[in-house]
Amino acid sequence: MTEFDTRFEDTGERRRTSDAPLSIHDLLDGETVQSIAQEAWSALVGDDEFLVPLPGGLPDDALSSWVEIVGPWTGTVVLTCGRSTAEALSRALLKEHAPPVLEVEDIEDALGELANVVGGNVKAVLPGPSVLGLPEVGSAPTAGSPADTCRVDLLWRGESLTISVQGAAGALTDPHENNQNEVPL
Amino acid sequence: MTLTATSFDWVRALVHKESAIVLQPGKEYLVEARLLPIARQMGITDVSQFVESVRSRPDTDSTRRIVEALTTNETSWFRDGDPFTALTSTVMPALLAARGPNERLQIWSAACSSGQEPYTIAMLLEDSLPNAASRVTITATDLSREMVERTKAGRFSQLEVNRGLPAPMLVRHFTRAGNEWEVAPTLRRMVQASECNLAAPLPRMGPFDVVYLRNVLIYFDLPTKQAILRRVRDLMRPDGWLFLGAAETTLGVDDSWERVVVGRSSAYRPLKGA
Amino acid sequence: MRALVIDDSRAMRRIVTGILEGLGYEVQQAGDGREGLDVLDTGWIPDLVCVDWNMPVMDGLQFVSAVRSNPAWRSVTIMMVTSESEHTQIVRALAAGAHEYVIKPFTADAIRDKLALLGLLPEEAVL
Repeated sequence: MTEFDTRFEDTGERRRTSDAPLSIHDLLDGETVQSIAQEAWSALVGDDEFLVPLPGGLPDDALSSWVEIVGPWTGTVVLTCGRSTAEALSRALLKEHAPPVLEVEDIEDALGELANVVGGNVKAVLPGPSVLGLPEVGSAPTAGSPADTCRVDLLWRGESLTISVQGAAGALTDPHENNQNEVPL
Repeated sequence: MTLTATSFDWVRALVHKESAIVLQPGKEYLVEARLLPIARQMGITDVSQFVESVRSRPDTDSTRRIVEALTTNETSWFRDGDPFTALTSTVMPALLAARGPNERLQIWSAACSSGQEPYTIAMLLEDSLPNAASRVTITATDLSREMVERTKAGRFSQLEVNRGLPAPMLVRHFTRAGNEWEVAPTLRRMVQASECNLAAPLPRMGPFDVVYLRNVLIYFDLPTKQAILRRVRDLMRPDGWLFLGAAETTLGVDDSWERVVVGRSSAYRPLKGA
Repeated sequence: MRALVIDDSRAMRRIVTGILEGLGYEVQQAGDGREGLDVLDTGWIPDLVCVDWNMPVMDGLQFVSAVRSNPAWRSVTIMMVTSESEHTQIVRALAAGAHEYVIKPFTADAIRDKLALLGLLPEEAVL
């Protein structure tokens, strides 16, 4: 059962002629991120659940979940929405399997799992081999540099939700260091 | 807002006229679910409102999209694997013994949807009968232009490859293409896709050695079922094999077929002299 | 029939468990590969294990290798259920001894179709 040949094995690797660091904009676009997220929503949240590409305002209490991708391109895939949206998402995800009372851990876990699903599929579009980290949840991590960030602003059931695929270079830059690559916002 | 009776009746009449498929009363939910994405793309959130706008001013593009949305199905690859197992275990060996060594074999996937069925056949032939695979042409047809284009492209979403495609076959016959999966070029070359409405006179095709006409007849009324079976028979070799869906039969519909048991599946063969 | 569902996300454990119970399975859960092996060590041998890839303590690939190295667990069918979706990753999982592979996101139908392929769909669940 496990015997198979790998004649068509796809390493997913794309070579660049220069050694310049890969920018996310060379690797994927917002449309791809949105279609990955839409597949996750259709399958897991509900087959009649649509993500509409319209910007909205995130509330102050916004919650984020993210997974790290380490490979030829290194960065994080961050999903951010308001707490009430995160709770509605958790209920939609669990459907009849939801416990009567959703605890904070349930909501964080569900939001983390959505970041994992979107992140895993984003990783598969990027050149490999890459490693996917475990999901983390909390306040939104520092925004990446626009030059290496692909962000989509979406509405789900009329509520704002953003997905940001952001390079580590911008996100992890220490503000006290010489930020020669940082683009001012 | 639920679909009004007038809207539903108009959609039923349209679908029947264009595809001969009968939408039973009570299928309002199906109409709502299938048409909502199209309505939303046009900026309308209410299916009744969308249907009324098309009804008051029908254009061929909108009506075609309505018919396609209601007549195409999400397909699984091997969900009902028996008719495919029968192909490699019984049908192909019998045909290879009966035909000359250089004779081509023709298989017809008569409602190919987005291509799962013709590529399933192609994968099985390449895996089980690699020497014979080069002699086989698979004709894939569908009512929907969009489905024919998708079959030609041979690209499938993550959700589609999750539906009953064995993982060893996925890695053997597909490569990643962005966030989709693309079937190998050797298999794409075996499959020729074109539009074809089974409820209307058929184009010149065949003659076919094997026909897969699965989960198509269930949508049609009796006279249309009889007409389709007659047309299909006209395009088949006298010793050909027809596979229908698990819930379908020629019995009580058209008595010019002989039902034969092949493994755990049933096939139908043209009765001689009928 | 028995199934063991291993995933570090409790939401995902609940979803997969719900689908399998709906098909007639008796299900136990574990939060990582190590906990999964602990369940097997109790002698409760499932027909099916659905296991995630990326988990703390012991990941799904290590779990698959561990199960395959123990002849007592030879009858267990392993299906990876993970968001790891690169071609090479699926090849690695199959080479390690997983029988099937479901890519997240998935629908209940996808799980049912895969079980049908594996001959692990309880008879009464065939729709």
